[in-house]
Amino acid sequence: MLDIKDLKVTIEGKTILNGINLHVKKGEVHAIMGPNGSGKSTLANVLAGRDEYEVESGTVSFDGKDLLDLDVDERSHAGMFLAFQYPVEIPGVTNATFLKSAINAGREAREEEALKPVEILKLIKSKAAMLDIDPSFLKRSLNEGFSGGEKKRNEMLQMAVLEPKLGILDETDSGLDIDALKVVAESVNALRSPDRSFVVVTHYQRLLDHIVPDFVHVLYNGRIVKSGDKSLALELEEKGYDWIKEEVNAVSA
Amino acid sequence: MSIISKDRDSNTKQWMKSLFETYEASLNGQKDHPIAAFRKTAFDQLMTEEFPTRKDEDWKYTNVSPIVREAYKFGTSKDFSQEQFNQFLFDGLDAVVIAIVNGVLDTNLSNMDSMPDGLTMLTVEDALQDDILAGRIHNLIDQKGGTAKNVFLRMNRAFAQHGFVIVSDKNAVVEKPIHFVHINTGSDETYFSHPQMFMIGSKSSEFSVIESYHSTNNDAKYFTNAANYIDVEDNAHVHHYRLQFESKNAYQITNSVAIQGRDSIYSNYGVDLGGKIVRNNISTEHMGPGVNTYYYGAYLGLDDQHIDNSTFIDHAVPHCESNEVYKGILSDKARGVFNGKVLVRQDAQKTNAYQQNASLVLSNNAIMDAKPQLEIYADDVKCSHGATIGQLDDESVFYLKSRGLSDEGAKNLLQKAFIGDVILNFRYEPIIEKVLSMVDAKLSKK
Repeated sequence: MLDIKDLKVTIEGKTILNGINLHVKKGEVHAIMGPNGSGKSTLANVLAGRDEYEVESGTVSFDGKDLLDLDVDERSHAGMFLAFQYPVEIPGVTNATFLKSAINAGREAREEEALKPVEILKLIKSKAAMLDIDPSFLKRSLNEGFSGGEKKRNEMLQMAVLEPKLGILDETDSGLDIDALKVVAESVNALRSPDRSFVVVTHYQRLLDHIVPDFVHVLYNGRIVKSGDKSLALELEEKGYDWIKEEVNAVSA
Repeated sequence: MSIISKDRDSNTKQWMKSLFETYEASLNGQKDHPIAAFRKTAFDQLMTEEFPTRKDEDWKYTNVSPIVREAYKFGTSKDFSQEQFNQFLFDGLDAVVIAIVNGVLDTNLSNMDSMPDGLTMLTVEDALQDDILAGRIHNLIDQKGGTAKNVFLRMNRAFAQHGFVIVSDKNAVVEKPIHFVHINTGSDETYFSHPQMFMIGSKSSEFSVIESYHSTNNDAKYFTNAANYIDVEDNAHVHHYRLQFESKNAYQITNSVAIQGRDSIYSNYGVDLGGKIVRNNISTEHMGPGVNTYYYGAYLGLDDQHIDNSTFIDHAVPHCESNEVYKGILSDKARGVFNGKVLVRQDAQKTNAYQQNASLVLSNNAIMDAKPQLEIYADDVKCSHGATIGQLDDESVFYLKSRGLSDEGAKNLLQKAFIGDVILNFRYEPIIEKVLSMVDAKLSKK
């Protein structure tokens, strides 16, 4: 599904990603952890298509397509969804209007028939019910006045409605209390399927108690320095990141 | 130098004189009717005045010479079928409709008999024959009027073919609005029209008046010179909508002068999508404490449109509140002007005056001139003003694109949201929907 080879990314001349290699197959959930400054968010943002970052070398293949060649909206049409760490507030655009536009934009790009307003509303309401989101919130402006938890839940609703092939969660759990975190986890779990993959970028192991990953990778100094299964996350929780830093430094010494 | 300025308006006054003389000649037996004196007084005053130029502070940003230079005739009506006319109405709005085509009242298309309880409407002609109403009319005309009181008001009173007076009963709360539908078709001869309204909100009453302007020919050139006088008595609430969808070659000048009694509310809702040169003056004076004044304005200027909103609020007494929100989008070579004057007099303690003007300038050649002017002489007040001129937020565009919207789709949605924000205050769903769809249509054509 997602194939990242030797990805090197800089911003304003500074190297942030220093040769990332990551393979995500259909149906897999990969967690990406790492200390602050390791490049976690950069990876998510580059995949989403932010143009502040320079891709110096490497390739990213998504569902057989050259991802780096696609514009931001084309990546969404191709089936990628990024749940933002800090979703922006857009007053004046209601959640309902936004979702309708997003759904039909994707369908049009994929040459599928546009859904009628009634059908869209039905789809949105069923997903909202599945995520235990009150339908009245659809009339509110996009993220305006939302608490951190509400914003993250809104990201989950969008993901549920757009039904992507790959969901990337960029530190979705940061700033959430345990209840909000559980809701986020439940949303992801409800969407898990053999045809859908997830990349969960997180600083804290706690989320991974609820979204059990197939693979855990540790990002440090712009490279994935260790990979393992879910037990690696528990090890990091116990021991922190220092032992990994020491390992890496010993190797390069 | 002085010779040139004296003759500056001589051509204009020439055709105005002969046009007025034509009207007087048509009076026959009506010479003694108060309306004749009403118009003549205004006309005589008009002849002594000069039209504003860019050297006048209040008209610095808006050049009205193209408007004044034309020699206008009165418009002549055109026939519309009910079906053709209905497209200008707002779906789902139950209103009293007054149809005015090219400045001429069309009684067939109007339904003036369906006035709701608590509201009376009469022509200015008829009202002038009633001592009390005539007194109210003259009282309004005599008001200070700020920048809304200018030579165009006199022109309106001299040349208006139809003036209306709308009076509410004390305590009447009227849901059904009065909707003046002005349609312009344009013609071979450039014409002007003078919509004229006197609104009197009696104590503790509430009602709404809508003036909407439409064109059937987007190339038509004509001049709409509207005048509104609003007297909001104690504890009354008057809602005044001005929705302008004129042709791209039309000129529109609107002057609205309002006075408010204690605890009253005057809400002015304005939308400008059409017009080549548009100038709106609104002026409100507070006569008693506890008054609220709301001005909402939205505009979208493309090509070489010029849209100027100049407002004035006179906090003459204590404990009053005003709130202005103006939002505009300008692109191509369009020009927007916002001149918001607020005067807080020495006695006006505990005034709350808020003013917000935000504009999106989307092209290199579009220009926005924003001039908030707060003159504050009292010391225990809360006044704020914000003027922002900028582009669309990149972060918002990126967010929408990441959900699949195209670059254009994202920008249109954000622009619609930007203006829509103001429109959502317009209370009647049919009006909100109509305006939003007109905004959408104009944005899509861009």
